[in-house]
Amino acid sequence: MFSPSVENLVAQLTRLPGVGTRTAQRLAFHLLRVPSEEAAALAAAIGEVKERVRFCRECGNLTEQEVCEICRDARRDHAVVCVVEQPVDLISVERTHEYRGLYHVLGGALSPLDGVEPSHLRIDELFRRVEQNGVEEVVLATNPNMTGEATAAYLADRLRGRVRVTRLASGLPVGGDLEYADEVTLGRALAGRREM
Amino acid sequence: MLAVGANGAGKTNLLEAIHVGSQGFSPRTRSDSELIRFGTAASRVVVRGERGGLPVESTITLRLREGKRASLNGAVLPAAEQLRSRLSTLVFTPDRLAVVKGGPAVRRAYFDRTLGRIARPRAGLPAAYASALAQRNAALRRTGAGLSSRDAIAPWTENVADLGSQLYAARRDVLTLLEPGFGTRAEALGLADARLRYEGEPPSRESLEARLERDIERGFTGLGPHVHDVAIVSANRDLRLFGSQGEQRLAVLSLLLAEAELVAERSGVPPLLLLDDVLSELDAARRRTLAESVPGQGQTLITATAASALPGEPAQVIEVSPGHARTA
Repeated sequence: MFSPSVENLVAQLTRLPGVGTRTAQRLAFHLLRVPSEEAAALAAAIGEVKERVRFCRECGNLTEQEVCEICRDARRDHAVVCVVEQPVDLISVERTHEYRGLYHVLGGALSPLDGVEPSHLRIDELFRRVEQNGVEEVVLATNPNMTGEATAAYLADRLRGRVRVTRLASGLPVGGDLEYADEVTLGRALAGRREM
Repeated sequence: MLAVGANGAGKTNLLEAIHVGSQGFSPRTRSDSELIRFGTAASRVVVRGERGGLPVESTITLRLREGKRASLNGAVLPAAEQLRSRLSTLVFTPDRLAVVKGGPAVRRAYFDRTLGRIARPRAGLPAAYASALAQRNAALRRTGAGLSSRDAIAPWTENVADLGSQLYAARRDVLTLLEPGFGTRAEALGLADARLRYEGEPPSRESLEARLERDIERGFTGLGPHVHDVAIVSANRDLRLFGSQGEQRLAVLSLLLAEAELVAERSGVPPLLLLDDVLSELDAARRRTLAESVPGQGQTLITATAASALPGEPAQVIEVSPGHARTA
């Protein structure tokens, strides 16, 4: 329907998460309308991140150096490692300003259905860090869904006895109403209730 | 309420439409495109009524190649499937005999749906168990094919054991709740000493580990609630194997009435009962018993080819002819 190069652009955009054909077409036509410099700036930005950004050698976080800023920060507690699935999860934990330890980004969660095995995640790297760097506590902060829980269970089984292993609590959102809590969340919150 | 009309007049169609309008899906088919008349692009069902003394109106709109949309009292629901958690409708169609005479999978699905209706907090269990099971089976197959290792199966074994035990317990609870009502209804309809017997043991980590090699070979988890069954029994006879067609029908009806009673008791509002062609194979005495055991406060719609099929006076008679339904 369009010229081959437009077709190609639409096809490339459709590969992005959350972008369907319609949206891809809209984006493509938008790019065709804007001045060349603007489109080139976008292309250059994509090229640049791909060239400069890499995974931290230590924790797997995104960085432009060999080792990320968090791992290099001497003021942080190097004896505590928080395990997350993706770099975005790390950002969420950082936003709390409650956590002063280091991170370990797995790059996903175990899911045999999707062909994700322990060897596909940065699990061996985690064990190596625990072994060599004097880590005292591993905080498992994988997502509270089935694959995240299974990943946490897999890691806990292997870390137990070597280091203190903790898991993020599940419960009610702060500022929410009991009335609107779903049964599973409320059930978990009840199971995890604490003395006052 | 009695819907009468000749064969092919559209009685079942009316009943199906009420089901679609109050539950968001058809009891006959999972394919929504079958609910749209040939040659047209969309269909719509509006159901108006009263629930627990308050007016209620639900609308379902189906369009070819588009999702369905449901609204309840004017508010659009995020998913049409949510309608079923807001309004309860229980249906009997001749296809439902499969619950008694079909394979174990039909019964598991039936009692899991009952679980969803009477124990809402546990409604998500069957689906959660199914996805844990799918993950474990995938892990088994990948290990069998040399793509993965045994220790990668372990977290899923734990998941299957945990969710499997919960699902097992939930199903046992459902049967415990249903059985007394089922027994009483069945007794009244002439099925002596009717019982629901759960067949299967809860999975444990140990029992799953013990058969790991066999499971890897088959690429399939060989024990757990997904291979359990419920025997529907009368006087120590499994009705699936030894029940007559009539007895099987009575058992399905007794289950339905027992569930209706439970839903009414738990939610405080009796469900809408849709009984399609229940009278045809019952003798006069059983028709009377059935008419008497239909719950008084709720609403029940029964279809029949003749008004005389129902003993006693229905509150309302709807005459169905092709393309029309009007109150007599």
